[in-house]
Amino acid sequence: MYGAPPRRQFLALGVLVIAGFVLPYLLPDYFLYIGNVLMTYLVLAIGLDLLLGWTGQFAFAHVAFYGLGIYGTALLHMRLGIPFVFGMPIAAAGAALIGLAIALPATRLRTVYLALATFAFAECAQWVFRTWDSVTRGPDGLRMSAASVFGFSVGNDREAMPVIAVITALVLAATFYLVRSKLGRAFCAIRDSEHVAAASGIDVRRVKVLAFVISAFYAGIAGGMYTLFQSYVHPDGLGVWTLVLLLTMVVVGGSGSIGGMVLGVLLIGILPEVLRAAPRGLLVWQEFAYGLILILAIMFMPRGIWGLFTKSRSA
Amino acid sequence: MSFFSLNGVTMRFGGLVALNRFSMDVEQGSIHALIGPNGAGKSTVFNCVSRFCQPASGEIVLDGRQLLGEPAHRIAGLGVARTFQNIEQLHQMTVLENVLVGLHSRVAGYVPFLPGSARRNAEGAAIREADEILERLGLQSFRDTYAGQLDFGRQKMLDVARALAARPRLLLLDEPAAGLRNREISFIDGVLLDLARKQGITIVLVEHVMQLVMSVADRVTVLNFGEKIAEGAPAEIRANPKVVEAYLGVEAAHA
Amino acid sequence: MNLALQAIASGIATGCVYALVALSLVIVYKSTDVVNFAGGELVMLGAYFGLLLLVWLNLPYVAMFVLAPAAVFALGALFDRLTLRRVAGRKLSKHVDLVPYVVATIGLSYLLKGAVRVVPYTEEVRRLPPLFSGPPVFAGDVVLQRQDFAIIVVTAIVMAGLWLFFGYTLAGKALRATSQNPRAAALVGIPVSTARMAVWGLSSAIAGIAGLLLAPKLLMTPDMGSVVMLAFAAAAVGGFSSLPGCVVGGIALGVIQNLVGVFISPQAIAVTPFFVIMLVLLVRPAGLFGEAVVLKKV
Repeated sequence: MYGAPPRRQFLALGVLVIAGFVLPYLLPDYFLYIGNVLMTYLVLAIGLDLLLGWTGQFAFAHVAFYGLGIYGTALLHMRLGIPFVFGMPIAAAGAALIGLAIALPATRLRTVYLALATFAFAECAQWVFRTWDSVTRGPDGLRMSAASVFGFSVGNDREAMPVIAVITALVLAATFYLVRSKLGRAFCAIRDSEHVAAASGIDVRRVKVLAFVISAFYAGIAGGMYTLFQSYVHPDGLGVWTLVLLLTMVVVGGSGSIGGMVLGVLLIGILPEVLRAAPRGLLVWQEFAYGLILILAIMFMPRGIWGLFTKSRSA
Repeated sequence: MSFFSLNGVTMRFGGLVALNRFSMDVEQGSIHALIGPNGAGKSTVFNCVSRFCQPASGEIVLDGRQLLGEPAHRIAGLGVARTFQNIEQLHQMTVLENVLVGLHSRVAGYVPFLPGSARRNAEGAAIREADEILERLGLQSFRDTYAGQLDFGRQKMLDVARALAARPRLLLLDEPAAGLRNREISFIDGVLLDLARKQGITIVLVEHVMQLVMSVADRVTVLNFGEKIAEGAPAEIRANPKVVEAYLGVEAAHA
Repeated sequence: MNLALQAIASGIATGCVYALVALSLVIVYKSTDVVNFAGGELVMLGAYFGLLLLVWLNLPYVAMFVLAPAAVFALGALFDRLTLRRVAGRKLSKHVDLVPYVVATIGLSYLLKGAVRVVPYTEEVRRLPPLFSGPPVFAGDVVLQRQDFAIIVVTAIVMAGLWLFFGYTLAGKALRATSQNPRAAALVGIPVSTARMAVWGLSSAIAGIAGLLLAPKLLMTPDMGSVVMLAFAAAAVGGFSSLPGCVVGGIALGVIQNLVGVFISPQAIAVTPFFVIMLVLLVRPAGLFGEAVVLKKV
């Protein structure tokens, strides 16, 4: 894509921010919680898709960076008193740096090995979260105190929503510009043909690494968002299962488009809650449901729901 | 010393010798064809120039500059552009985006996340130039069509447009006429002659379609089993028994 | 020292199981370029099918040992026929998009795991009786379970069987042909899609056998499939292309895992396979046995 983002996209962002400030007065806490969760998922999903859909790389390491963002932001606040406004960017930058360390060797690998290597890294990270209990309180989970944003205490869904909405809007705006930039086109070129990309002057390795780093940064930001409205983090939520959840959102929504991410998050993100609320607690069907959805989606709707409404890109 | 030359290039893939001490000299502003049966090593020559593979020995020189020490992404900046066979294209990007990618090495850099005048100016200039190129090659009306949806002939034209966007001094064309109808081949014919004669771009083409080779090439090099077996003007090559033998077998050569 | 010997001895047995699962992964990867992230769940299914046949249908052990892998064979072949063939679609681009395949196998993994978990029977942790039961065998200071012998024997039989099959039977050679060059194979008259189904079936059956061998040593839960990580590590050592490499990798991994548990800490056992994977892929992506990639990927 090219040029400047269309005005309607900024309009949508405006609506999002206003909703973030107004809805806490109108809706019960549970719905605000869902809203916060969905916005966090959106930032995560976009970060994942930057690698998966736009650059064509596997990004199973994504949840590890999410965890780094969560623990980083929370611990910087609780142990060092660093307020959220600085803590989150620092934690996200930390995640990005580790993303860089992983990306440098990983981008030499062919796609399937890359999938395996990032998978292994994610599992490693989860093991570290579990085992380094002096820092993360390991399997007991970490209780997080309310964050401090510009002096305001933000510890529950009502207080968090405006902040989360603003962060989401900023991330979306940045993404709008990114996908229309030289770098965004380089991502797509690499996905379609690394040879053509290189012959056009694109430093393929460098751009792949950049995609990794940016993706990790997004995950780190999402981690920071998490600390605003959640009071507890446990390593079990930072493993492959969460990644599969994200993957389902990306695939069902429509990989390669921001609109697809929004759709995917809206549809799939609420599933756990729907299952939880169902009679006889259908939560145990989660895994089966997601597995089935993934398979059906990739068989019949490979471009996602968004893809049903946009024109195909191949003959 | 000629404008572009390969000297003694040997390329091995495992035990297979794809190119054996291959040398070729190309004059500036000329159209040089590289022909030979399938598997002769023609694509390997291009892949070496594009730096997708590393020859075991030899050198590749463009206007005095050694290419073999450069990484693949710097070749475009040194003035070399190339097209690819149909399988390798930017199918999921639009026609305009394809040309914008071709401009990559010439667009000024800017921070991808931010608005601002640097971005506006660079993007604006790039889009304008891309549109001009599309206009010149008759693809303007397909500007926002995905490349994968164009018909075959236009996809090839787009590939050329993308390559030309880099303002190359040396243009490598990989089977530009493959799969084209006669009318389209004539069109390509005209485009190539224009590029070489009027714009001074040096062209090397790998080609199977003899019609095109005979009508545009100034000089032809023939490869077989990784070795040069003949070189000269198109008419000489056509009559050369070794060339006929390579394509059609020993009996045809002596028929 | 005795601890080390014990670790090595029992590590060889568990390593054989990892080798089997790794074989299953590599067979499918070599033939179809698909990394089967559901490999572990096929192992798990083999064990549960076995339990089903043994406990519910009261079949003799040997019958179960044949039928359970057959059931997993059918499942694998079905998955290829229904899902993967559809996913492959009309892709004619040389740049095969592997993302849909990965998504499909991940989906299968959770589908199977979820399906098994939902069945109330699996809520309780189960146990599969071993192939050879009886008191453990003492060799000097080293103790080996009889099941360990069963594992080594069956693994050897499977490997020999595969070697004979791929090397000397027409069907096996046909499968090798389709894996090396599908178009040429099709031209020669080999039914490529059926061959793919057969490969998936064979690979799944091997995973199922691994499950039957492993289950008596572990406690059976729907999460048993996590053993696949060790198989991936073993396959990585073999460069994902060498069958003997899988075996060496598997046994090495079994031994290393036990040694880590003895000399470093039991907690570190869990992270060993991930470490090995990252290390191997970092240092030598082609594995210790695989061929180095020659045409430079930019």
